[in-house]
Amino acid sequence: MAVAEYYVPAPLVRYRSRIGFSVRQYFHGTSVPSYIAFGALAAVMLIAIFARQIAPYDPLAAVGQPMTAPNAVNLLGTDTVGRDVLSRVLAGMQSSWFGALAVCAFGVLFGGLVGLIAGACGGWFDAVLMRVTDAFLSLPGPILALAVVAAIGRSYTHTLIGVAIVWWPLYTRIVRSEVRRLKASPHLEAAKVGGAGWWRLMYRHLLPGAIPVTIVTASLDIAALVLMVAGLSFLGLGAPQPAPELGSMSAQGVTYIFSAWWIPIVPAFAVAVIAIVANFAGDAIRDRIRDR
Amino acid sequence: MLTVLPRRLLGAIPVLLVLVLAVFTLQKLAPVDPVAALVGAKASPEVYEAARHKLGLDSSLPVQFWQYLTHAVRGDLGESSVTRTPVLSDLTQFLPVTLELLFVALVFTVVIGFFMGLATAQGWRGSGVLRVMMVSGASVPVFLACLLGMLVFYRWLNILPVTDQTSYVDAPTGPTHFLLADSLLAGRPEVFFDDLYHLVLPAFCLALTPAAAVGRVLRSSLEATQRADHTRTARAKGLGEKQILIMHSLRNSVGPVFALIGLQLALMVGNCILVELIFARPGIGLYISRAIDKADFNAIAGVTLAVGLLYVLTNIAVDLMQSIADPRVAL
Repeated sequence: MAVAEYYVPAPLVRYRSRIGFSVRQYFHGTSVPSYIAFGALAAVMLIAIFARQIAPYDPLAAVGQPMTAPNAVNLLGTDTVGRDVLSRVLAGMQSSWFGALAVCAFGVLFGGLVGLIAGACGGWFDAVLMRVTDAFLSLPGPILALAVVAAIGRSYTHTLIGVAIVWWPLYTRIVRSEVRRLKASPHLEAAKVGGAGWWRLMYRHLLPGAIPVTIVTASLDIAALVLMVAGLSFLGLGAPQPAPELGSMSAQGVTYIFSAWWIPIVPAFAVAVIAIVANFAGDAIRDRIRDR
Repeated sequence: MLTVLPRRLLGAIPVLLVLVLAVFTLQKLAPVDPVAALVGAKASPEVYEAARHKLGLDSSLPVQFWQYLTHAVRGDLGESSVTRTPVLSDLTQFLPVTLELLFVALVFTVVIGFFMGLATAQGWRGSGVLRVMMVSGASVPVFLACLLGMLVFYRWLNILPVTDQTSYVDAPTGPTHFLLADSLLAGRPEVFFDDLYHLVLPAFCLALTPAAAVGRVLRSSLEATQRADHTRTARAKGLGEKQILIMHSLRNSVGPVFALIGLQLALMVGNCILVELIFARPGIGLYISRAIDKADFNAIAGVTLAVGLLYVLTNIAVDLMQSIADPRVAL
């Protein structure tokens, strides 16, 4: 009696390094502008990580004459009490960048989880959650965030909490609509017929489909978050003085705009640089994900 | 049309309820004791209790919320602990200044945004610069735009004023608190034009980011419409490009732009506070930043409620305009 042999698929191509292969595959077809965008993103990331090490002076200590114009010693000048503007801006970039990342991560994780549950469960739970997120999204976010920070007290953490509170419903909506779309697709039915449990359906068959669009939205949101946090800090709703924060540094310098322009302009410019890099990198990520 | 408006207004009520609930919750979360703020830290326990009772803070939370809600509906937003005047009367004084700025900024947004969208979609000469502006416009913090605007237009060119509403010290102050309207009512056109002149730079800075967004959306929506079948038909009939653009493409492309403007308003209101602070315009921005400094939560709550209400109403208006522009948009 003939016994069927096991079919062993032959490896088509053997690559020496699996990681090298996937990296090459990932960057295949990437355009030059997106290389530049990713490079700039990496640069901002490095600056943010090593800000305290790069900074030539202590951002909190007076190191020279007050209000010295940019020169060879203090590359971007000194502020009203003689602190080095470059060192303070570098430290401020660190907190702005990681603050925006933290808020974004919270929004994606918490909002995404709520959206996943709402989309997967449906019914009254879904209806209630969607009304709540509707209400959040139809109110002016920046003002609400401002009210939250003003109520719970001024600090950088509270600013991030305030922004996170008004930001998460966005991701709930996105994940929920993706999950609803996927729920109607044949592959989910197949998985159900295959005997997959509720939990497995959620994390193996619904969640992965919602990830690309969430990543794209999140990466494009980072810039908006940086701007919002900087705006709140400009209003005085960040860490109290003398913490090096881009928004509040710029606000402190507004009075000196005509006598010492670098004090308000340089921190504001740093915010713009972070936001521009984040926006271009977000665009590049979107193009990549859309291509596939 | 006549049935849509009441329905939309009814739909706004739950949203506003959530807003009031959120503000109420925040007020309860605030570490500031409103009774102590009213009577002072050294008040005797009897005085303290009396004030507590007068503010209604000795009743249960749901009762307090109900009181807060009914007061808010009647326009009673409490008293500012700094100015000791009702928040509502403060708002009637400060809000018009802000609305003036927002209105002019909105006009700028539409004009600049449409120009940028049209120019880049049509590939006019020099539109490459506009494309770069549209991409980076969304990344420039509004306070950088304001500061650079001050340096360029006041310090270097010296052609635009940068502080306050008007240079006339005897400008009319009533009855609407909208200086643009008041000056005309008082028969002082020179104040009207001076106010407009003072509005140019702040409004332009405020309009920059939303205009870039409008330009981007209009561009992509125009490009889609220009490829649509009905445009090809129009072309096949022998209509000129200009006529196709105005009669066939533009109207079909403005829907997404209206939706976007509604969303951008939230951002503009937030940025408006910063702009007013920098240009020293006596609007809610100045009011709220003073309230933040003094931990005056009644004032902050009042501004939040008023702005939230206006925002919801404006978005309803924007939706209606969208459906007028494009009747296919269901409401």
